[in-house]
Amino acid sequence: MNKAKPMMSNRTLTLQVNGQPQTLEVPSGQILLETLREALDLVGARNSCGIGMCGTCTVLVDGMAISSCLTLTAQVEGKHITTIEGLSQNGQLHPVQQAYIDHGAFQCAYCTPGLILSTVALLNEHVNPDDATVREYLAGNLCRCGSYVNILNAVRACHTIND
Amino acid sequence: MNYELLQPDSLSGAMEALAQHGDEAKVLAGGTAVVLMLQQKLIAPTVLVSIGRVPDLDHIRTEPDGLHIGPLTILRDMERSSVIQRRFPLLAQACGEVGNVRIRNQATLGGNLAEADYASDPPTALLALGAQVTATSVRGARTIPLEDFLVGFYTTDLEPDELITDIFIPASTPGSRMTYLKYKSRSSEDRPCTGVAAIAAFGAKTCTDLRVAVGAACEVPQRLPAVESLARGQALTDELIGEIAAGYADSIETLEDIRGSARYRTQMIRVHVYRALEELRNGHR
Ligand SMILES: Cc1cc2nc3c(=O)[nH]c(=O)nc-3n(C[C@H](O)[C@H](O)[C@H](O)COP(=O)(O)OP(=O)(O)OC[C@H]3O[C@@H](n4cnc5c(N)ncnc54)[C@H](O)[C@@H]3O)c2cc1C
Ligand code: FES
Ligand code: FES
Repeated sequence: MNKAKPMMSNRTLTLQVNGQPQTLEVPSGQILLETLREALDLVGARNSCGIGMCGTCTVLVDGMAISSCLTLTAQVEGKHITTIEGLSQNGQLHPVQQAYIDHGAFQCAYCTPGLILSTVALLNEHVNPDDATVREYLAGNLCRCGSYVNILNAVRACHTIND
Repeated sequence: MNYELLQPDSLSGAMEALAQHGDEAKVLAGGTAVVLMLQQKLIAPTVLVSIGRVPDLDHIRTEPDGLHIGPLTILRDMERSSVIQRRFPLLAQACGEVGNVRIRNQATLGGNLAEADYASDPPTALLALGAQVTATSVRGARTIPLEDFLVGFYTTDLEPDELITDIFIPASTPGSRMTYLKYKSRSSEDRPCTGVAAIAAFGAKTCTDLRVAVGAACEVPQRLPAVESLARGQALTDELIGEIAAGYADSIETLEDIRGSARYRTQMIRVHVYRALEELRNGHR
């Protein structure tokens, strides 16, 4: 057997990003966060902790929130990826985005793309979540500016939109 | 980061890749541990064998003798499975308290067990349930009781060419009450400082069977059959519960880390074993 270390190869793969097929050549060990930011210039997902704890890199894969810092791009080949850039439709902000603005649910907004995507995933799963459910669901998205009260208000406002 | 990524789309393909690369290879499931370690350069495998494309490894299947769970089942599906909620509620609890939602959307049960991190929740619940792990390689399949599977810090009984292909939970006595108490000493989405899983069956007035597992405070989750048996045929009085809680606190060699000192953990074991048994006796769940 050849014991020489194989070089990291590139691979060509297709992702569905924000509804568009994207065929890319990426190093096979690249994480999704890097592919989104470097190859696709989608910089709403941000690198912060790199260990799954803070949520700034949150994206949706087939509608489920995951940490793109802990996901190899090759693992999500063929799947539907939604980033913050893909939420608005025809120039109209998504209702969750609008609610965050209406309630001033951020200060520096570093955490906001991740929190909005987590909120979208939450509302896909729960029609009318109570506060405890919201708190539990969003606990993994940290906001260093401490905008939590307004974030909770924004999320509460979202389900009146949903009703 | 010089490794080759293989993504076999069959179980035999995955097993052959592991047979060929053995020690040099690392299995990739959800990636919450493996990708983190690759990014931090804590591991340097030559070959990464992703099992994400292997079909039929994410089953939750009821059979007369118990429940079979596929290793690729994500913790979020464990937490939300109506079968698990109904039959083994402590397992739904334990999986539902792991980290945050994103981690549970990605982390698999097989990956959690194979990682054998002591600061984990599902293994403690599975130990109380008497779970068994099936490991399969090109050499064949073998079934390992969980207490033999978990060997020590980040160490399991798996050989480098073996894959976990099934996790089996034997049916418990009908009417059993069960609970998992996760104690977190830092933030709400932290790993456990201690975890206590308890299952009890009751007759007219007395406890007919008790199983208690303690994890995260020690190298591997532990049951103490001699202490458990104090409950058999007895009413769970405050005094007896206190005696059992003390039995666990006094016997388990606790460890020290950022989540608590060894002495603190001994106290937390006492408190949480007590609370778990109180809850079972009072029938809250
Ligand atoms: C932010 C964060 C918080 C966390 N909090 C908790 C917590 O509160 N409680 C808790 O219990 N855990 C917690 N974890 C740990 C998490 O549960 C595990 O990392 C996860 O379950 C591992 O599963 P995976 O599918 O991601 O495994 P991977 O990272 O893909 O693999 C993990 C290990 O298992 C091996 N492996 C995977 N599948 C198989 C298989 N079928 N056969 C053989 N070997 C296999 C891999 O080679 C590797 O060694 C946390 C993790 C993070 C990142
Ligand atoms: S950067 Fe991914 S969770 Fe923090
Ligand atoms: S608004 Fe600044 S981190 Fe949340």
